[in-house]
Amino acid sequence: MSRPSDLVQGTLDLLLLKILTLEPLNGFAISLRLKQVSGDILQVSDGSLYPALHKLEQEGWIKAEWRASENNRRAKFYSLTRMGRRQLEREADNWNRLSAAISHVIKMEEA
Amino acid sequence: MRLERWFYSIPLRFRSLFRRNAVEHELDEELQFHLEQKTQHYVASGMTPEDARRRALRDIDGIELRKEECRDARRVSRIEDLAQDLRFSARTLRKTPGFTAAAVLTLALGIGANAAIFSVVNAVLLRSLPYPNSEQLLTLHSNQSLPDLEDIQKQTNSFAAIGGLTIQALDFTGQGDPVQIYGGLCNAEFFDALGFRPVIGRTISPVEDAYGGPSLVVLTQGFWKRYFGGDAAILGKSIRLSGNSYTVIGVLPREFWMPGRPVDVLASLRVVSPLAAKSRGVHFLHTYFRLKPAISLARANVEMGNVDQWLALHYPEENTDNHRHLLPLRDAIVGDVRPELLVLFAAVGLVLLIACVNFASLQLARSATRQREIAIRTALGAPSWRLIRQMLTESVFLSLLGGVAGLVAGLGVRLLMALKPAGLPRIADTSIDASVLSFTFALSLLTGIVFGLVPALSTTFFGLNAKLKEDTRTTAGGSSGYRLRKFLVVSEIALALILLISAGLMIRSFALLHRVDPGFRTENLLTMRVELPEARYREQTKQRQFHREFLEALNAIPGAQAALVSELPMSGDYITHNFVIEGRPPLPAGREPEVQTRTVEGGYFRVMGIPLLAGRDFGSQDRTGSLHVVVVNRAFVAQYFPGQNPVGARVQWARSDPPDWMAIVGVVGDIKHFGPSEPEEPAVYDLYSQTAQQWKRWMYPTIRGAASAGILLEQVKQHLWAIDNQLPVTQVFTMNEVVAASLDHQRFNLTLLGIFAGVALALAVIGIYGVMSYAITQRTSEIGIRVALGAQQRDVLWMILGQGLRLTLLGCTVGIAASFVLTRYMSHLLFGITARDPRTFVFIPLALLAVALLACYVPARRAMSVDPMVALRYE
Repeated sequence: MSRPSDLVQGTLDLLLLKILTLEPLNGFAISLRLKQVSGDILQVSDGSLYPALHKLEQEGWIKAEWRASENNRRAKFYSLTRMGRRQLEREADNWNRLSAAISHVIKMEEA
Repeated sequence: MRLERWFYSIPLRFRSLFRRNAVEHELDEELQFHLEQKTQHYVASGMTPEDARRRALRDIDGIELRKEECRDARRVSRIEDLAQDLRFSARTLRKTPGFTAAAVLTLALGIGANAAIFSVVNAVLLRSLPYPNSEQLLTLHSNQSLPDLEDIQKQTNSFAAIGGLTIQALDFTGQGDPVQIYGGLCNAEFFDALGFRPVIGRTISPVEDAYGGPSLVVLTQGFWKRYFGGDAAILGKSIRLSGNSYTVIGVLPREFWMPGRPVDVLASLRVVSPLAAKSRGVHFLHTYFRLKPAISLARANVEMGNVDQWLALHYPEENTDNHRHLLPLRDAIVGDVRPELLVLFAAVGLVLLIACVNFASLQLARSATRQREIAIRTALGAPSWRLIRQMLTESVFLSLLGGVAGLVAGLGVRLLMALKPAGLPRIADTSIDASVLSFTFALSLLTGIVFGLVPALSTTFFGLNAKLKEDTRTTAGGSSGYRLRKFLVVSEIALALILLISAGLMIRSFALLHRVDPGFRTENLLTMRVELPEARYREQTKQRQFHREFLEALNAIPGAQAALVSELPMSGDYITHNFVIEGRPPLPAGREPEVQTRTVEGGYFRVMGIPLLAGRDFGSQDRTGSLHVVVVNRAFVAQYFPGQNPVGARVQWARSDPPDWMAIVGVVGDIKHFGPSEPEEPAVYDLYSQTAQQWKRWMYPTIRGAASAGILLEQVKQHLWAIDNQLPVTQVFTMNEVVAASLDHQRFNLTLLGIFAGVALALAVIGIYGVMSYAITQRTSEIGIRVALGAQQRDVLWMILGQGLRLTLLGCTVGIAASFVLTRYMSHLLFGITARDPRTFVFIPLALLAVALLACYVPARRAMSVDPMVALRYE
């Protein structure tokens, strides 16, 4: 079974935090949203999504609450905390630096 | 940042731990919601509901695995296991309240007794003395004179300061009734040696500590608070002590403490008692040597040896054969009681051991009933370490509960104090402090682990196999658990027997001590102490006038007979003098024999009921100015006039100047002056009206009267204060109380050992009862068959009793052997019997045997009434 581009180690946290900046979402919605915004390129496997969410919650970066979903089912919604927002900034900075460096290396013209 | 994170994570963790069901439920709900959404998602993209559901499940790749990962993400599983074990323990223990109560109570007894005794040991033996850098403080075995101390200071350089102190009763007047207080007479260096700075004012300076120096006094905190309400304005004011005026210059801190008697005030010995201070031959100062830093005890003792030689050379009269040996002050204070406290500690350790054995035995009994549960859990795949851990958790849980209950019982430390262990130094400091708490906690934990491990291991490793084998048929007493329990009961009986024999030896000693004839009649005898202040009674004529008037007044009380004595029997007081016998070859100065000296007045032997053995009693013809006469005791005759009649011989105190020969006119019987357990020493009695010792201003009036002690005392006080209303009366006791007090120590030890032995006996009896009951339930069907085959009830009874008897006999044999080895460590606590007293060693095991058989008899009765039909159906 082919999986669309497996996520680079450690970037899952960054993506999850980023997706939650806009609005509180439940787990399923998070996985859909990630797929949507990345134009079907990035997809997190259902298996790793929930342990990752629980870990972020434990770190205090996101918090969970139960409320009704759009189809009126009780669902667990995650939202970003103040600490999570700071963490996101840090990780985004790291990512930008890293990706800029990588693309810099890749664009290097062969002499 | 950190804090903020905890703000989120701590509530979450607590929730994970304590609301586990809710959290699990939410996890489940969250994943189910996901599955439904995903299924709908696939259905919407055209799949059949079944395929969609399957696809969704496959996407999540093992829902239980994901749940476990989520739990891991919460990182609480380890604590959670423990919490689960604890919850499970609490639940199972709640379900068996009888077992729980028995286990907790058993351990509470064991641990509580240990906590209590440990708190005493801690206060007396372990905690350091309340002086700054107290490890630098040394003392000499023997008391010293001030001139010798001065020379020691000059001849050595190991010591930063050398203090000397003697405690003397003083009258404190001017605050209502005259009261007797205790004054510490010391040198100026005493304060430096102990290292106390006054809280207000100052201490006595070396310049002031001189013959003819100013009359200054330093108060202790307690005295200051009691009589002056802690008023700092007392500085510079005068107080009256024994008729003299002293200016208060300072107050010592609360920590100031003297072993033995409490001290109320401190003053310069040179100022208060110049005569005593100058006398090199009177060794009455307790010494306090403070080592200089980095000087060892050994080095100091080497120096002390040199000083001995120097002093012997320069002052041979007072310093022949003086071997001064320094030892840590703390050792000197607690030295005497160390062995007996250790005996008590060992005894209480045995109690704990028995309690633990009972605890293990209880657990074994219970694990027998839990074998089914354990077998099922094992069959369901619970790893055996998990089961062991569960059982250990339970055991530790119980032992900690027992520890807490024990500590509460340990508050009974207060009760221990009520036993009044007079003479146990520092016992008043006993309290439940951090070290007692940690000792108890460690003890509880250890108990729980060690004595939980045995049953836990035996159940899981050996028990399960045995259970599987056994289940086919109930056999007679076969399981390893039962064998282990039998072993436990045997050791329990052995341990209990050791304690019972120790207590038995103590009881026998105590009974013998009580039966000792003190050599005088103790009943209806009132005693007290009166001391004449030096200021008003310096001259002996005044003292003698007081003696005469006082005795006349006392004898005028209807039905009363009164006399005076300088050293009351069993009060702990004594004075010795060197003496010489006329006509015997002279001895070098300092080598003359020593005798006990007691000064009496007014028909003392008659009042006390001390029998006259030869010659005559003191009479009215013996008075001031007439021929000096003395009466000696039987021990004196035995030592110095063996086989001769001493009446008519003359003695005098060594180096009397001018000579003062005293004629022996009579011999009286020995008395137990030093308490029932001590032999009498040679003693010489002289008369207040003839003694040249004008410093003997104190006396114990002894009054035998028909009236009750209370009424008699009031009459005595009335007469005393009619003569001099400034004299305090102290140490008022009946002679019976004095005798009882001299046995306080033995009573304290005896009571504690007795309590421990009682507890041990109870625990052992419970233990054997439990094992026998268990054995009988195990053998019900066997007994049923026997009865069906024609066994009589009597046979069944004897079979069971025989089994109990075998266990008890085995335990007794081991116990007797162990006692034989161990009791000699307590021989110093015994009186009149050896540590292997045959009567105790026979009687106590027999008594234990009887009690144990009784404990077997109850379950045996139950076995007798086994109905064979019921028993066989029970299979």
